[in-house]
Formats: sequence, C-alpha cells, structure tokens
Amino acid sequence: MSVVTQKFLSDDHLMAASLTALPKIGPKRLSTLLKYHDPQTAWSVVQGRAKPHDVVAALMQESGLGAMWRANATRDLQEQILARCKKAGIHLVLYGESSYPSCLKNDLAPPAVLFYLGDLCALNARRVGMIGTRSATASGRYFASHLAFELTQNGVSVVSGLARGIDAWAHRGALRAREKTDSADMKKPKSAFGELAPPVGVVASGLDYVYPKEHGDLWRQVAQTGVLLSESSPGAAPEAFRFPLRNRILAALSEVLVVVESRDKGGSMITVDEAQKRDITVLAVPGSPRNIASVGTNLLVQQGCLPVVGVDDILVALGLDNRRASAASFDPRPRLSEQDAHLVAVMVGAPFSLDEFVIRTGVPLLEAAISLGRLEALGWVVNNSGWWEVIEFG
Amino acid sequence: MFASVRSATLLGVRGSRVDVEVHAGIGLPGFTVVGQPDEVCRESRDRVRAALLSAGLPWPTRRVTVNLAPTGDRKSGACLDLAIAIGLLAAQEIVSVDVLSEFAFIAELGLDGSLRPLRGATPLVLALTDRTTIVAPGNFVEARAATPSKVLCAQNLFDVVECLAGRADWQREVRDSKPTDALNRRRDNRDRDVNANSSAERVSALDMADVQGQPVARRALEIAAAGAHHLLLVGPPGAGKTMLAERLVGLLPPLTDEEAIATTMVHSSVHLESPNAGLIRRAPYRAPHHSSSMVSMVGGGTALMRPGEISLASNGVLFLDELGEFAPSVLDALRQPLEQGIVRLARARTSVVMPAKFLLVAATNPCPCGEGSPGACTCDESARARYLRRFSGPLLDRFDLRVAVSRPKTDELVSPQRGESTADVAERVAAARELAFFRSGCANSALSREQLDLVAPLSRSAEKRLRRELENGRLTGRGYHRVRRVARTVADLDGAPDVVSDEHLNLALMMRVDLASGLRARELQF
Repeated sequence: MSVVTQKFLSDDHLMAASLTALPKIGPKRLSTLLKYHDPQTAWSVVQGRAKPHDVVAALMQESGLGAMWRANATRDLQEQILARCKKAGIHLVLYGESSYPSCLKNDLAPPAVLFYLGDLCALNARRVGMIGTRSATASGRYFASHLAFELTQNGVSVVSGLARGIDAWAHRGALRAREKTDSADMKKPKSAFGELAPPVGVVASGLDYVYPKEHGDLWRQVAQTGVLLSESSPGAAPEAFRFPLRNRILAALSEVLVVVESRDKGGSMITVDEAQKRDITVLAVPGSPRNIASVGTNLLVQQGCLPVVGVDDILVALGLDNRRASAASFDPRPRLSEQDAHLVAVMVGAPFSLDEFVIRTGVPLLEAAISLGRLEALGWVVNNSGWWEVIEFG
Repeated sequence: MFASVRSATLLGVRGSRVDVEVHAGIGLPGFTVVGQPDEVCRESRDRVRAALLSAGLPWPTRRVTVNLAPTGDRKSGACLDLAIAIGLLAAQEIVSVDVLSEFAFIAELGLDGSLRPLRGATPLVLALTDRTTIVAPGNFVEARAATPSKVLCAQNLFDVVECLAGRADWQREVRDSKPTDALNRRRDNRDRDVNANSSAERVSALDMADVQGQPVARRALEIAAAGAHHLLLVGPPGAGKTMLAERLVGLLPPLTDEEAIATTMVHSSVHLESPNAGLIRRAPYRAPHHSSSMVSMVGGGTALMRPGEISLASNGVLFLDELGEFAPSVLDALRQPLEQGIVRLARARTSVVMPAKFLLVAATNPCPCGEGSPGACTCDESARARYLRRFSGPLLDRFDLRVAVSRPKTDELVSPQRGESTADVAERVAAARELAFFRSGCANSALSREQLDLVAPLSRSAEKRLRRELENGRLTGRGYHRVRRVARTVADLDGAPDVVSDEHLNLALMMRVDLASGLRARELQF
C-alpha cells in the first residue's frame, strides 16, 4: 500500500469498499463475509489466497460465485475504488466500528459497509423519514416542503431518498429552512429546540453517481449541511434492485415515517412495509379521494395509520409536542372574499382542468378566467401545464 | 406549312401559356417535339396520330417539327394533345389558320379521337382568359365556373374540326359532367375513396351539438374560427380532440369568390373533385396522417410541383393529429408558410409559389402515458421532458391557442342536454369576423403590431396583468403580441368592440397553456 492510500482510507476500509464492488454481492452476502472474516482476510479469501470459514465456503460454492469473485478481485478494482472515493471525498464505516450509526446497529438487516458524504453526526438528531410518489401534485410537493421546513426548524432531521417528486421537495424544504436562518434572521431565536437539524439523504446508487442527474445541486447541498448515505460502492449505477434495499435503510433510520403522497403500489409502499417490520410509526398525509396521487396514503389512514395534517402531528408522534411553545402557524396570503373562498372550497383536493372548474362551479368561462387569474395572483391556486390546483397553505 | 396554336401547361397550381408551333416541311417523313417536353408530353405523338386516324383525319406525310414555346420551360402532362392535333391539321390546311387566333385548346386525346378531361382545368383556363378556350366535356362545368371568359367544349376531335370550320355548333351544355369512359370513371371513383375520410362533405355535416361538455375547448374552437388563430389541443386519449377539430371547419364562413378560385385552383391541379364540378365554396379540411413526408406536406416532388397538404388546406383547416409523431423536419417546414401564408418552392429548374393560408389545428397527448394530470400521470419527468422536446419551441409559439382538453365525466357524456349547434356558433363567428375585417381589413391573428395598439388597447388592469406575465417569464415577446391578438378576438365575440379588458386577456392567457411548466421547479413560496 502506498503512503497516500493510508492517508485517505485505512486498509480495512479499502478492502471492505472493494468487496462491495464485486459482482453479485448483495448486503446479505457481504454481511456473511464480513461476519466471519475481518476485511483484509475477506479480500484474501475472495482472491483465493486464504482459507474461507465453512459458512463462507458454502456461500462461495453457490453457482460459481467464488470463481466470479476471484476473477474480479484485482488490484485494479481496488485502485479504481480508491480513486473514486478520493475524488468524491467518500468515506465509509463498517458494522461494528465505534462510529457506526447507533440507530442502525440493532437493525434487522444492518448494512455491513456504509458509505457516506458529509458528517455522520447528523444522524444524532431526531429523525423523520419523508417519502412519496415521484409524480406528485403541486400541492403535495408544497406540503412536503412545508413539513420538512418546519421539522428542520424544530430540530428534527428529514430523512429522504432524493428521488424525484416528494423526496426532492422534502429536502428542498429542509435546505430552505437552513438558508433562511443563515442569511436573514441570525439574531432571532433559532427554533424551539435551538439547533437547526441537518438533512439526511439515503440514495441507491454510488455516492458519486448522481441520479436523477438534475439533482446534482441537491446532493451536494445535503452532503454539505448534513449527510448522504449509501451502501452501494462508488460508481454503482442506480439499478432497479438497489432501490428496495435503499428503502430498508431509509425506514431503519427513521423514528417516524411520513408518507406524503403515494399510489397504492410503488417504492413508498415498500418503505412502509420495511418500517412496519421494524415497528416504526408510519404517518400518512390524507388526500382527496379523487386525487390519484393520494390513493396509497388514504389506504394507509384506512388501515390505521395516523393522519398528518400539520407538523404538530409529527412532533407529537416523536414526543416533541411543542404546540404551546411555537407561535400559531400563519398564512401570509390575503384573506379571500366570500365568493373566492367558496370557489376554493369547491375545487380543493385534486388537480382540475379549466373545464372542470367551469362545470363544477357553474361560473361562466370569462368570469372563471378572472377568478382563477385573481386566485393565482394571490397564491391560492397554481397552474402547471394547464392543470390547476388549490394550495391549501401558503 | 406553319401553324401556331395556343394552349397551357400546369406548374404548381398555376397554368402557364404555351404556344404549340407546328411546322410541316419537306424532308423524310418524321415527327419531333422540341421545347423541353417531358415523357408524357413526348408520347402525345402516338396519341395524336391514333386520334387523327380514328377521326378520319389525315396524318401528314412530311417532316413535322412541333415546338413548344417558350422553349425555356419544361412542359409536362397530356394537356397539349388537342393543341398539337389542331396544329397538325392547320399545317395541312384542313383547319383554317386564321380562326385559330381566337381559340385556345386544353384537352387530352383518347385513341378514339375523344376529348378527355385533365387535372388542373381551373388554373389552365385562368391562364388563357384572353381567348375562347376549348375543353373536354368532363372539364366544362369546372372551367366555366372558374373563368369569366368564354369556354366551349366538344365531344371529339372530329367535332372540333367541324365547329372550327363553322359546319357545326359548339356544345354549350353538358348534362353529365362526369367523364363517360370506363377508365376515367374508375380513376375517379378511386380518387374519391382515397379522399373520402377527410372530404369536406363528410366533415361539414358534423355538428357542434354532438360535443358534450368541454366548455373550454368549444370556446377555443369559436375563437380560432373567429380570429383565424392556430389551435393546439392537448389532452388524454378519448378526450375528443379529433372530434372537436373536425367540427372547426363547419364554423368557418363560406369562401369568398377570390378564395374559392384560389382553393379550386389547388384542388383542381391534383385532380381532386370539386363539389358539382364547380367552384369549391366550403372551407377545405385536410387531415394528413403523421407518416406524411415533407414533399406531401409542402408540395413539390415531380417536375409539375404538385401542391402539398398545406396548399390543399389553404383557406381551410389543416388538422395534424398526434403532432408529436410527425417527423420534426416536416413540422419545422410548416413554420415559414404559417408566417407568410404562401409556400415558395425552389428547385434547380423552376420555382413556384403556392397558397398556404391555412388554419392549423393540432392535437397531441400531454405525455407518453397520455394522462397528463398531476398525480394521474405515470411518466417520470425525464420521459415527459423527452416527449415535449419533439415540438420545437418556435412551432409551439405559433399556436395562439393551446388548450388542455380533459376527458368529459360520465354525467356530461350521458346528459340529454345537447350542446350549442354549429349554426348558432357560426353566426357569432361570422359577426366577429366581419367586425375584424371591417376594422382592420384582416383577421385578428394577422394584425400587425402597430395595428394592435390601435385596435386592441388594454385596460389598465389588463396591462398590469400582462406586465406581470412578462416579468415572471411566462410569456415571450412573440407570445405577448399573440395573446393580445387572441384577447382582441375574445372581446369581439363577447360584444366588446373597443377596449380589451381583464377578463378577455385572462381567458386568452389561460388558453395559452405552457406545456413544460409542470417540469420546471418553481421557487418555494415561503
């Protein structure tokens, strides 16, 4: 080993990192390997230079795994991994080390190797997982970012997957809370619980493989202000099988899991299952029965999950009831006239087209154009690609 | 001996005069055609010979040269057959050379000496207005409707000779305008079948009353028809986009004389039948399939420069269903005709100008899965973005009206209440059109920027609204003027002929949906 390597990653860490990059090595096989051998021996075992433990030997018998690993476990692979870690500043922590996150220590399936960007101390704050569909409605996105904003201000970390839709908007809200405090009101008391909580991201691909591409800035900011976690080796592509595995870590890291918008199937529901396996409280944001994006969350509420209508519901679930401490939430938008309030009440819930607005409210088209224009200017409705939505909270 | 006979050939949608000069001189018997004839034109030698012999007329046994003047242009088609035959007869002094200066001849000859109709009769006779034109019986009605000058016809070559000599009378009435021989009838039927799907007859019989619900799309059609604004319908499958588009043509007023002639010229030159073989009075409707090639859309192709769909739709509606499936190059080729109302095609040998003043209506799904509505759509953002990239920005910008159409709910579909009928809406459209033409001499969509300030002054609050849209980047510079034109039309339909107020402008803005706005991450509002 060169001098430089020892500076950046210890030998143990480098070996472990290299092991994760082997083909067909999932979290289970990796755990087995590292359970019976220390990382450096494990690497030798894989290379065929050391005698494997019986269990490991049995594992390596399976469908030519041993041969495949032996072919791939080269110096090249090691150097590649090292270069990637160094370039992106990726560190890792092994199961059993003292700095390994305590919240994952007693998990059902703790990752044997955890890569991270940023500061692992971020995991010491209270943590709430926020998940939801990738094709969210505008009001769903706003609601997610509002919740995250207020949670962050209350010292609760937002854990999310940095996917498109709800995930990304939750983190945008969390980052916004930090920006706001950093820039404008330094003098004001920070929050009911003092510190602003750092954001936590858990991603499926390698930490230097930004997916989706347009979230590059978001990844960087989360890593700078909080921590970004992954159990995939650096450079690993976002293959489909990695997402359910990621969801398990996300669930394990959450003290409370909030589903903002979800259909009845999909990644969010997998995370919910993982959370329920671990006896983690799942909360759901109910939506209009007409809103397809809320079918899954409504189902959860039906099955007995507590509904979330504001940040207090989450704080109560965490045992951080501060309803008396914080000021009443304030809607900065101007009050609506009686007529406008009626229109908003009729249309709230699901996205609607101009057609539906005219038919449901019975307002003539020209007048409807005026009303919607006014409501949009006041911030009560938004328009995306011809679809309108009522935003319930400014 | 020498004779000169006037005729015409077709280029694009215009006829151009041709003098057929025939010289029969001393030498070995032979027959040459010079002056850039194409293959069909050169073959006329054999047709003319057979026709002459069938009619009992002599074929010259001298050295014959036929020159098609002006010699610089390429001539194509069989429209010179009759003129060549008459020229040959005049050169043999069977027909008097003196009478020929009053006449022009356009007809194809059958081997039995009969006169056959040809495509492009309207543009051809319009090129020959200073003469009395002799046409085939099958072209008679169309030709007479098209030109103010005298048109005569005869059954066959022998009759023509007799009439020219004054021994018989020209035929002035044609009972059955359809061509009589079996071959032509079959060709005719086939043409009709091909065009049956989008024929003006079928479409103009459709009524707006069949459209249930859809208040916004209905209004959009009305605005499009009244102001000649191009319209894009965006909606999920089954929302009724095609149904709506087909009903637009019924809202357009009947063509003016000038428009009718221009439209008939185009349709005639591709041998599309005109109603009762007279002038086309109804706005045409063309709905080419999305696999259409560039040439079929804009025209060109053969040496004749066949007009494309955009010219055939001139003064009417061009409907492009599944806009995203058209080749991007084909769509972008529409941009220049959309602005100028004509299409100028240049080739190495020729360059032609054809009319292309059409009302463009297009339909598309909002995204690959087709649902579009937030929450219901199952496409991820990159798939949506990819889908929207198929439409170039400049093309989208040219649609004054971009309307989201949603699927009607069950209640609306089964409701016994019928929508407003085409006749009622068309009345309002006609009134608004008349107002626009009276005020500025053009449809509202064609208003220049200077005119806009004059005829579409904004109320103070409307101006403020527009300023806001411009400032937050939701409106481009071109969009700014387009929205004002649409607002002008909305106000006209609303019976507010002077100031464009808030509500008109708001509706115009809402009918200009920004397809990509759902993809842009907006600034958080807190």
